Amino acid sequence: MGSRASTLLREEEIEEIKKETGFSHSQITRLYSRFTSLDKGENGTLSREDFQRIPELAINPLGDRIINAFFPEGEDQVNFRGFMRTLAHFRPIEDNEKNKDPSGTEPLNSRNNKLLFAFRLYDLDRDDKISRDELLQVLRMMVGVNISDEQLGSIADRTIQEADQNGDNSISFSEFIKVLEKVDVEQKMSIRFLH
Amino acid sequence: MPRQKLIATESDVSVEVETEDNAETADRGLEEESSEVVACHKTARRGHGRSASKVKEKKPQEVQARRSKVKEKRKVLRDQCKEEDGQNEDVPKRSNNHRNKRTKTEQRGDFKRKTKDEGDEERSNISPQEGGTELRVKIKTKGAKKLKKREEKVETSRALSRFSSESEELSEEESEEQKEVLTQEELEILKEAVEEKKKLIANLRAKPWPMKKKLITLRESQEFVEKYEGALGKGKGRKFYAYKVLMVKKWMKFQRDFENFKTACIPWEMKIKEIESHFGSSVASYFIFLRWMYGMNMILFGLTFGLVMVPEALMGRPYGSVPRKTVPRSEQASAMDFAVLWDFGGYAQYSVLFYGYYSDQRAVGWLKFRMPLSYFLVGVGTVAYSYMVVIRTMARNANRDGGGDDTSFNFSWKMFTSWDYLIGNPETADNKFASITTNFKESIVEEQESHKDENIHLTWFLRVLANFLVLCCLAGSGYLIYFVVRRSQKFALEGLENYGWWERNEVNMVMSLLGMFCPMLFDVISSLENYHPRIALQWQLGRIFALFLGNLYTFIIALMDEINLKRKEEEVVKYNMTIWEASLYNGTAADNATTAPVDPADVPRGPCWETMVGQEFVRLIVSDTMTTYITLLIGDFLRAVFVRFFNYCWCWDLEYGFPSYSEFDVSGNVLGLIFNQGMIWMGAFYAPCLPALNVLRLHVSMYLQCWAVMCCNVPQERVFKASGSNNFYMAMLLVILFLSTLPAIYTIVSVPPSFDCGPFSGKNRMYDVIQETLQSDFPAWFGKVFNYASNPGLVLPFILVMVLAIYYLQSTSKTYKAANLDLKKKLQTQNEENKKKNKKAALKAEAELEEARNAAVSKQERNVCSQQSRMETRTFCEGVPPPGDV
Repeated sequence: MGSRASTLLREEEIEEIKKETGFSHSQITRLYSRFTSLDKGENGTLSREDFQRIPELAINPLGDRIINAFFPEGEDQVNFRGFMRTLAHFRPIEDNEKNKDPSGTEPLNSRNNKLLFAFRLYDLDRDDKISRDELLQVLRMMVGVNISDEQLGSIADRTIQEADQNGDNSISFSEFIKVLEKVDVEQKMSIRFLH
Repeated sequence: MPRQKLIATESDVSVEVETEDNAETADRGLEEESSEVVACHKTARRGHGRSASKVKEKKPQEVQARRSKVKEKRKVLRDQCKEEDGQNEDVPKRSNNHRNKRTKTEQRGDFKRKTKDEGDEERSNISPQEGGTELRVKIKTKGAKKLKKREEKVETSRALSRFSSESEELSEEESEEQKEVLTQEELEILKEAVEEKKKLIANLRAKPWPMKKKLITLRESQEFVEKYEGALGKGKGRKFYAYKVLMVKKWMKFQRDFENFKTACIPWEMKIKEIESHFGSSVASYFIFLRWMYGMNMILFGLTFGLVMVPEALMGRPYGSVPRKTVPRSEQASAMDFAVLWDFGGYAQYSVLFYGYYSDQRAVGWLKFRMPLSYFLVGVGTVAYSYMVVIRTMARNANRDGGGDDTSFNFSWKMFTSWDYLIGNPETADNKFASITTNFKESIVEEQESHKDENIHLTWFLRVLANFLVLCCLAGSGYLIYFVVRRSQKFALEGLENYGWWERNEVNMVMSLLGMFCPMLFDVISSLENYHPRIALQWQLGRIFALFLGNLYTFIIALMDEINLKRKEEEVVKYNMTIWEASLYNGTAADNATTAPVDPADVPRGPCWETMVGQEFVRLIVSDTMTTYITLLIGDFLRAVFVRFFNYCWCWDLEYGFPSYSEFDVSGNVLGLIFNQGMIWMGAFYAPCLPALNVLRLHVSMYLQCWAVMCCNVPQERVFKASGSNNFYMAMLLVILFLSTLPAIYTIVSVPPSFDCGPFSGKNRMYDVIQETLQSDFPAWFGKVFNYASNPGLVLPFILVMVLAIYYLQSTSKTYKAANLDLKKKLQTQNEENKKKNKKAALKAEAELEEARNAAVSKQERNVCSQQSRMETRTFCEGVPPPGDV
C-alpha cells in the first residue's frame, strides 16, 4: 500500500507539502495511502460522502462541520493538498517550533490557527462571528430534540453573555480566544501522526 | 530615500574611518604592536573580534590556500548577489530601495576589482614600503563605501539587501584579512537571508505577480535555499555544519523512536486507551488508578520481598530447625491438606509468608544481615513510602487542577468543549450525546435551583430521615459483623473441624455481602433526598466509605479482643513451658546417657497472635478477591450472556428493558480498590506476603476487568468528569491509609510481641530492636546523641515548632487564596463594567448613526423636496410633467 502510494505521489509534490504543512516525508506518504483508501471514487479527490464513511465523523454531531472544514468555500471536492492543509492544523507543536521568530507567517499548527479551526466549526456563515442563531444550530446538533427550544435559547443567551465583551450579541474570534484561554488547545487539538 | 543626506553622513564619517584605516595600515605596515592601535582596530572592525596580531602570524602558504578559497567564495557570493539583484527587480515594492542599491552595486563592481588587487598586493607582501598614500586613498574610498553600506543597513532594514551588501563587504574584508570561517554575526545574517527566502517561498502564492514571475522567483529562491541552507559554514565550518545537521536529524529521529518506545513500555496503555475510547474517561480513570496502585504495590512488594522474605528464606535457619519454623506434631497429619492450606494454615502458616516464622537471630547469614531490624524498618518504610507517594500524587493533581477557574465561562466551555472527539464507537457516542444533554439540563436545573427554594421543610425532613436510615444501616451492619466475629471466635475455641464451610467463612462472607447489598440500599434511600446528582454521588460515595470503614473497624476491634484472648492463653502456655522444660531437664538428667534432642515439632508453643492477625488479613483479602471475581463473572458475564442469548426468545426486550447489560460501576470499584489497599497496609506488618498477594490480585484484576468491561458492560449513562474526582479518590486513599496504619502502629507500640515466635520474640516491645541496634552496632556517642534527641524535652518543642510551621503555612496559603479570590472578583466586575460600557458605547454609536442617517435622510428629503419644487416650478414653467418618484 505504502509503496503504491508513494509512487503515485510525485517527489516535488511531497516537497511542497512538506514545506507548507511541516509534515515529514514518511508522514506524508502514510497519509497519502490513507487518503487513497478513503477515496472510493479513485479520482484523486475526496467528496463529502468519502468523509462521512469515517465512523468517528459519522457519529460526531459536529461531524458535518468538521467535514465542511476540509472543503474550500463552494467546492465539493478536496485534493490531497487541501486534505493535508487541513490535517496540518492538528500537527502537534514541537519544541523547536515554539521559539521561532513571531514575525514570520504562522505555521498551520499554531495555537491561533488551531483555535481558528475550532472557531470556524461554529461560525456557520463564515462572517467571523458566532451569532446566537449559529449557537442554537450547533446546540441542536449536540443535544437533538431532548431539550426545549426555550431552554436552548437560554443556554445560547448565557453563553453569549459570558463570552461577549463588546456588546454586539455575538462571539468574535478574539472573544473566542479569550474563552478558551485556559484550555490547553496546543495539546488537546493535536494528533500524534505516525512517523 | 534621502540620498543627499546619506552622502553627507558618509563623507562626515568617512574622515573618521580614514584615520582609523590609516592607523590600521600604518600598524600593519610598520608592524607596531601597540595595544592602543589594536584596540582601535577592534573598533574599526565593528567588534568582529579580529585582532591584527592574528593576521600577522599567518604564514604565506596558508595565505595562498586561503586566497584561492576566498576567491571561490567571492565568486559564489557575487553570483548570488546577481541573482538577488535579478530577483529584486521582480519585486515592485522594493523598487525604491532597489534603485539605490543598483547604483551601489555598480559602484561596488568597480571597487571590487580594485580592492581585490589591493588585497592581493597587501597579502602577498606586507611590507612597510607599501603603506603609501596610494593605498591610503584606496582605503579611504573603501572605508567610505563600507560606511555607505552601514548606512544602507540602517536605512533599509531588509535582510535580503543587507545580506547582499554584507556578503559583498564580507568577501572583500575576508580577502583583505584572510578570514577562514564566518563569524557568528555573518552567519546569522546568512541564516536570516535563507529564512527570508523560505518565507518568500511560503508567501509566494499570495503575491500579486504574474505566474511566470512567480515561477521564476520560486525556482530561484528554492535553489538559493538548497544551496545555502546546508552550506552555511564554509570549509571546516561547512563540514561541521553538515555534521551537526546530520546529528540533529539523527537525534530527532532517536528521540521520536524513544518516545514511541516509552509509550509502548507503559504497561496496559493500549488496553486503557481502547477502554477510554469505548467508555469515556471516567472508566479509564479507574483503570489508571488501578495501574497506579499496581505500581505502588510493586514497590511495596519489592521492599518486603527483597529485604525480608528472601533473606530469611536463604540465610535464616532452615525449616524444621527451631519450633517456630516447624509444624506442630498435632497438626502435621493435615498440614498438607488443600483445605488447610487454602485457609493459610499448616505448612503455609509456618513459612516466610507470616510473621511467626521469622527468627530472632540478630544477624543472619554470612552477610550478617540484621533480620529483626530489617523487618521493623521495612514495616515502617512501607507505611512511610505509601504516605509519601499518596501525598505527592495529591499535590500534583491539585496543582494540575488548581490553575483554571471554571466558573467564569461555564456555559461557553460546555458549548465549545463538551464533545469528546476521540470517541469512535456509536454506542459511546450516543451516551456522550445523552450525557451532554443531561449536562445541559443539569446546568439549567442548577441555574433554576439557585433562585428557587420551595417546600424546604419537606426536603429537610426527608434528608434527615434518609440520614437516619443510613445511620441505622451502618449501625446494623457494624453490629452484625461484631456478632459474627464473636461467634467465629467461639467456633475457633471449640475447634473448627466440627463446623461446615459456612461457619468457617462466616466473617468474610458477611463482610462481602454487606459490602454488596448496603450500597444498593443506600442508593434507594438517597432517592428520598432529592439532591443534585453530583452531590448525591458524593453522598453515596461517602456513605459506602463509612460502611466499609465501620466494617473494617469492627473487624479490627474484634481482632483486638482476640489478640487479648491469645495473650492470656500465651501466659498459660508460658507457665506450662517452664514446667515442661523443667520436666524435660529432669528427664534428661535422669537418663543421663543420651541427650535425646527434642524434636522441634514436639515443643509446646504459644498461640502467636501476630501470625493469627496476619492470617486473618490474608484470608480477608483472598475472600474479597474471590467475591469480586465471582460477582464480576455472575453479575456481568452471565448476565450479559443471558441478556444476549435469551433476547431471541423472551417476551420483552431484554437488552433495553429490565435486566439489560450492566454498567461499569466506577465508584464502587474504586472504593473496593481503596479498601483492599487499606487492608494491605494494615496487615502487611504481620504477613509479609500481603503485598505480593495484592500485586497478583491487581494483575489478574487488570486483565479480567479489562476483558469484562470490553465484553459485557455498556457505557455509563451518567458520565461524570473524571479529572475532578481523581483527587477525591486520592483523598479517600489518604484517609484509609491513616486509619489503617493507626491499629498497626498501636499494636506495634503497645502490645508486647509473642515470646516464642517472630523476629521480636523475647523483647518487651517491638521497637526495642532500634535501641538494641543502637547499643550494639553503633558507636557509643551515637547512642548518646540519639538518647538525647529522643528526650521528650527535645521532641516536644520540635513537634511544637512543626505544628506552628504548619499553622503558619496554612494561614498564609489561606490568605493567598482569599487574595486570589478577591482579585478574581475584581477582574470579573471589571469585565462586566467593561461590557456594560461597551454596550453603552455601542448603543450610543448606533443611536448616533441612526440620528445621522435620519438627518441625512431628512436632508435628502429636503433636497428632494426643494429639487422637486424647483423642478415643479421648472415644469410648471416649461410645461413638462414631473417625474413620478425621485
